[in-house]
Amino acid sequence: MPLDVVLRGIFSALFAASVLRISTPVILPALGGLISDLAGSINIALEGTMLVSAFTGVVVSAYTQSVWLGLLAGILAGVALSALLAFFHLSMNTNIILAGIALNIMATGGTIFLLYILTGDKGNSSSLASGAVPVINIPLLKDIPFFGTVLSGHSIFTYLAFLLTWLVSVFLYKTRLGVHLRAVGENPEAAASLGINVKKVRAIALLLSGFLASLGGLNLSMAYLNIFQRDMTSGRGFIALAAIYLGGRKPLGTLIAAIIFGLADALGNQLGSLKIPSQLVQMIPYVATIVALVVYALRTQAQVRERMHKFQQREAEIAAKASGD
Amino acid sequence: MKRWMANPIVRETVRIVAAVGLALLLGFIITLFVSEDPLNAYRSFLLGPLTRLNRIGDWLEESITLIFLGLATAIVFKAELFSLGAEGQMVLGALTAGVVSLYVPLPPALRLPLALLAAMVVGFLWGAIPGILKANLNANELVSSLMLNTIALKIYEWLLTFYIKPPNAGYTASDFFPKEGVLPNFFPPIPGLEGVRQTLVNQTNLTIMLYIMLAAIFVVYFLMYRTPFGYELRMVGINLKFARYGGVDIKKVIILAMAVSGIFAGLAGAHLAMGIHTKLILNITFGLGFEGVVVALLARNNPLAVPFTGLAYGYLRAGADVMERASDMSREMVLVIQAIIILLVTAERVLPMVQKRIAASRSNGEGAAAAAEGGSHAA
Repeated sequence: MPLDVVLRGIFSALFAASVLRISTPVILPALGGLISDLAGSINIALEGTMLVSAFTGVVVSAYTQSVWLGLLAGILAGVALSALLAFFHLSMNTNIILAGIALNIMATGGTIFLLYILTGDKGNSSSLASGAVPVINIPLLKDIPFFGTVLSGHSIFTYLAFLLTWLVSVFLYKTRLGVHLRAVGENPEAAASLGINVKKVRAIALLLSGFLASLGGLNLSMAYLNIFQRDMTSGRGFIALAAIYLGGRKPLGTLIAAIIFGLADALGNQLGSLKIPSQLVQMIPYVATIVALVVYALRTQAQVRERMHKFQQREAEIAAKASGD
Repeated sequence: MKRWMANPIVRETVRIVAAVGLALLLGFIITLFVSEDPLNAYRSFLLGPLTRLNRIGDWLEESITLIFLGLATAIVFKAELFSLGAEGQMVLGALTAGVVSLYVPLPPALRLPLALLAAMVVGFLWGAIPGILKANLNANELVSSLMLNTIALKIYEWLLTFYIKPPNAGYTASDFFPKEGVLPNFFPPIPGLEGVRQTLVNQTNLTIMLYIMLAAIFVVYFLMYRTPFGYELRMVGINLKFARYGGVDIKKVIILAMAVSGIFAGLAGAHLAMGIHTKLILNITFGLGFEGVVVALLARNNPLAVPFTGLAYGYLRAGADVMERASDMSREMVLVIQAIIILLVTAERVLPMVQKRIAASRSNGEGAAAAAEGGSHAA
């Protein structure tokens, strides 16, 4: 394919819209992962949570013929898996990474196992007539050229992803529980000494992360595609973890980072036709995440040094004052 | 509690056997509900890997990969470093071993060691990266190692698709390695036993990697328990601050632990490429890196226990394969069993809770004396 055709493809409204669509199932779990990460409980099970929700949503919507019941069941299943993670991590003292790995294995195996029992097929749920979440066309906006194509006509989940970024931000920085949550993540002993129930806060954070991850999973199986496929999350739960760190552990940063991952994915698809290896393009955000980790670490070190410097100055001032008296 | 339960090795063994037994029981209950012929399905799961020579071979081949990965993971976990980078190191190990096997025009006596060495070096270097980031910048090793896994996978796919794959091949895979690049069968060509050897060569891919694996187990044990580095590694794992206070060079230990761990993951990759598949294919590792975590975990990061847990875990996986072929059960049921085992083994409160129940039911009769004894212990 000639270069100009590909370039025209990339700088088009349709391409921008596809980036948003591809990013959505990363934004949602990333926001969830951000909440639990800030509370000090890294949620490796985002991947498995998404998978279980995607599966439950499809199956329940197929058997009840109700999209809404499917969504509800999917959310409940995802939250239940997170509750299991919270139980093992907080009540049974299981290392959260190992418990997360176990739940991911269970989600992968369990969904394929049940899919096979229900449909006799291990690959996908195409024999089930499952529901799809409707697409929203925004009146007036949809008629504006370019912006209409980019911003209108997405599934509810895409709009929810942006709305939830704002809500998560408000929750983390403007509510009492959010402040407690960040305090618990920053220094659990100090938070506990101030009377904050560390375990309770972490349990809430994990349940919230499960809720958000389940939305991401449902987005995959009931909007992005309208079937469940085995391993259909294909690493998005881990990309979500990366987006948190690429985004500097802030809601807006996480949103942007998730979109960058979506962009790289979409670009990889487009450039494949140019004989530019899609693998190299898709690699970029992962390399960027490592760079972001380094930058973040350097900044933290600088902050600590600055704080230490200030502390020493103040000590010196106090000492000078004392000798002056 | 009885006195023998005070021995940590006995306690751990009892605990793991109980966890596996309970998980297998749950698996059987699931099978009862799902299968038309549950007894046959479960028998093929539990006994299947032993029924034929080629199945025993499949089981042992898979176990070799798992044991290498278990050793790799045990090293980092012993230092309480939660790196999940074995997957990426294994992929690159397979890649380099494959490239050497395919392209370096040396006789087997030189080409094979070179391929193994190359895989080890690449594993070492790729493992050192998250180590350096962790040691110098305190960058989260979990996240950085996961990123490096994907980067390694993309490098592998890129080189395989654009350079290694023969241009006219319809599928993404390399040519089969030339004879000089394939590891020889583990059974030596003893005169008089050529027939036995030929049967083994025909039925299994069990190569000399078996001996390298056995050597690796003892190398890791020696490294961990008989060298100053191993001592420092364990000290860092037990209490980082204490180790630093005691004069341990924490940075060096972290970087070396991650890098040395990569050597064994690299060998696992070489085994996949040069032993099992004898060519480079897409998805060559198939997420095995995470399974290595489970093997190390069940072995409680003890290198001498890793071969046993690796064989047991490999057996579960091989049994699942046989079950799927021999019955109406799908192999994924075993993933659920695996997950239950991990949860039961890692839940640190389960056994103490059971102990407390037993102690409580006993002390009801024994009264205040036991309570007083318990109190003095706590103090």
